[in-house]
Amino acid sequence: MGLMENLGKVFNVSLIYATFRASTPIIYAALCAAITQQANILNIGTEGIMLVGAFTAISVSYATGSWFLGVIVAMLAGAAIAMIMAVGHIKYNSEICAIGMGINLFAIAITKFLLNTLFHTNGNFSDPKIVPIPRVELSFLENIPVLNQLFNNWCFTEWFVILFIIILQFLFYKTVWGLRLRAVGQFPMAAETAGIRVNAVKYQAMLISGLIGGLAGAHLSLGYSAQFVENMTNSRGFMGVAAMYFGGANPVLTAVGCLLFGFADSVGARLQAYGFPAQFVLMMPYLVTVLVLAISMAIKLGAERKRESSLVTGDSH
Amino acid sequence: MSQSMKNLLKVVITMVLSLVIGAIFILSIGENPIAAYGALLKGAFGTKLGIGTTIAGFTPLLLTSIAFAVAAQAGAFNVGVEGEVILGGITAAYIGIHWGFLPAPLLYLACFAGAMVVAAAWAFIPAALKAYYNVSEVCVTILMNTVALYIGSYLVSGPMSAGVATPQTDPVLVTIPKILKPSSANAGVFLAIIIVLIVIFMLYKTKWGYKIRTVGTNPEHADYVGIDAKKTFINAMLLSGMLGGIAGCIEVLGVHGYYLDGFAKDLGTNGMLAALIVKSNMATTPLMAFFLAVLKSGAMAMQQTTGVPKAIVDTISAIFIIIATMEFVIQIKGRRQKEQAAAVSSGEAPGTAPPVESEEKEE
Repeated sequence: MGLMENLGKVFNVSLIYATFRASTPIIYAALCAAITQQANILNIGTEGIMLVGAFTAISVSYATGSWFLGVIVAMLAGAAIAMIMAVGHIKYNSEICAIGMGINLFAIAITKFLLNTLFHTNGNFSDPKIVPIPRVELSFLENIPVLNQLFNNWCFTEWFVILFIIILQFLFYKTVWGLRLRAVGQFPMAAETAGIRVNAVKYQAMLISGLIGGLAGAHLSLGYSAQFVENMTNSRGFMGVAAMYFGGANPVLTAVGCLLFGFADSVGARLQAYGFPAQFVLMMPYLVTVLVLAISMAIKLGAERKRESSLVTGDSH
Repeated sequence: MSQSMKNLLKVVITMVLSLVIGAIFILSIGENPIAAYGALLKGAFGTKLGIGTTIAGFTPLLLTSIAFAVAAQAGAFNVGVEGEVILGGITAAYIGIHWGFLPAPLLYLACFAGAMVVAAAWAFIPAALKAYYNVSEVCVTILMNTVALYIGSYLVSGPMSAGVATPQTDPVLVTIPKILKPSSANAGVFLAIIIVLIVIFMLYKTKWGYKIRTVGTNPEHADYVGIDAKKTFINAMLLSGMLGGIAGCIEVLGVHGYYLDGFAKDLGTNGMLAALIVKSNMATTPLMAFFLAVLKSGAMAMQQTTGVPKAIVDTISAIFIIIATMEFVIQIKGRRQKEQAAAVSSGEAPGTAPPVESEEKEE
């Protein structure tokens, strides 16, 4: 009886929005990783791009009083960071994981440094002058009980992410540019022969990825919350990369993976109220990510083996 | 110029370049970079305490950087060293507190053995997932670090808590003697150096190490000559895990004398940094670990005496990696040499021979 009541408190209508809210920053991060993955670049630097975006968004919003300007400048900052990676990887042959981790460490250090020197604080920065991304109020829903709880008062960027998933899905699979992008990722030599400028496409993918990563950060600091905290991305970028693997860089499937992590996160937060040790709650999304990653890769590999087994005799690699 | 000299030269050029970029940052906040760097060096070497702090910082970094480098020899990008340090540390603490029935020498051994086994088991998970299911070990190890952090934090604030204000365990029954008091440097540094020498010997002078290096440089060749690439990959990760575990054990037994929550913060990351800068070259990784230990131990003194925030040190190290991963410094040098060689052979003055093809060949 008591258990059922408690379960009812954990799993109720508001959990749906809580899940979506927790997932949105990860979805943006995952899309940032997905677009480069289509060009066969593993964007480990997503975390760093996002963190720089988050810091830039807060500072610009604080300085100008415009959330929109904050988001735009954050996207540009994300693009700048991504271009460092792109030039290093494409032109100067950097190993992508190495330069990606370098970018992540750089992002943590530079945001900390700027937090100290620009705002003279340590740890976190919040101020009433920061203008957050507005929430969308749908007045016609106010009298409808469940729908109101579900859909009212979403952050602007939370609505936008749904549109954005569709746009990217269309871009990847229904446009010439998307075809080129995937050709570059899957078979660069063939793409080159077909007259596609492989490196140009890779640069474009990295540039757009940086813009998305900056947006991911801006949403995290200005939409999801209204402050900047040192290392506030807290592995969300890496979770995005994991979700991207889960969805095979397909935007819709990737977003489904993110919802799974968001679900683990919000259920965990609720269980904490019932005396579950905080640490177990906090590690839940990470554990789920590893499990999901392992299972999805195992299934994928199994399917590949099945497909090839009748045709190839030796090792498929 | 020999390859190792070239590597060393590249490291020095990169080091200077990142210090210059760091100087620009320092100038931009209106401070004097030379004074800041001077304060940093003085903090790291000026006093007995400073030297001790540098050595104390160097000990775990040496082990974690080699742990990363060993895994890299087999082609693994093991970001999970930090988790291995944490779990090695908590295991060493558990054995050190509860296994008092053992005589002291055996207890030391048990602490190290326990730390190595648990940390290696932790490293086995991403290794096996990568080897058998091709799951990115970068992603898995990053996520598992957080899991390890929370496991340690749970144990030290719950079942293993000493019941004091800070989350820490009871003191362990055996400790590694301190050197250069009052700093936290301890005899573990000698142990770390010996272990690293053994690991380098194993990698370059045994069949076991040869297999690892072959799998890392050319997995197809390894397959062709009959080396089990998957098994070898896992072996390298297990060794990497053990090294991380040893680092955790030395920190617990040598520096603190108990397990302190968060003691491993950034140890794995900085070790990875040191290894990445020199592309996991086993000979120069320890040098880089030492350089980073100097930067870290001097940073606090710099912040106190000059008003340059110590976050600048992390910024410089990160720029260091970003530049170091790129190949352009040595390419420019290589091209110039080719120009000169071409000029000499054709009897022209240096600089007039256009490096027509060298550019394309390097692509």
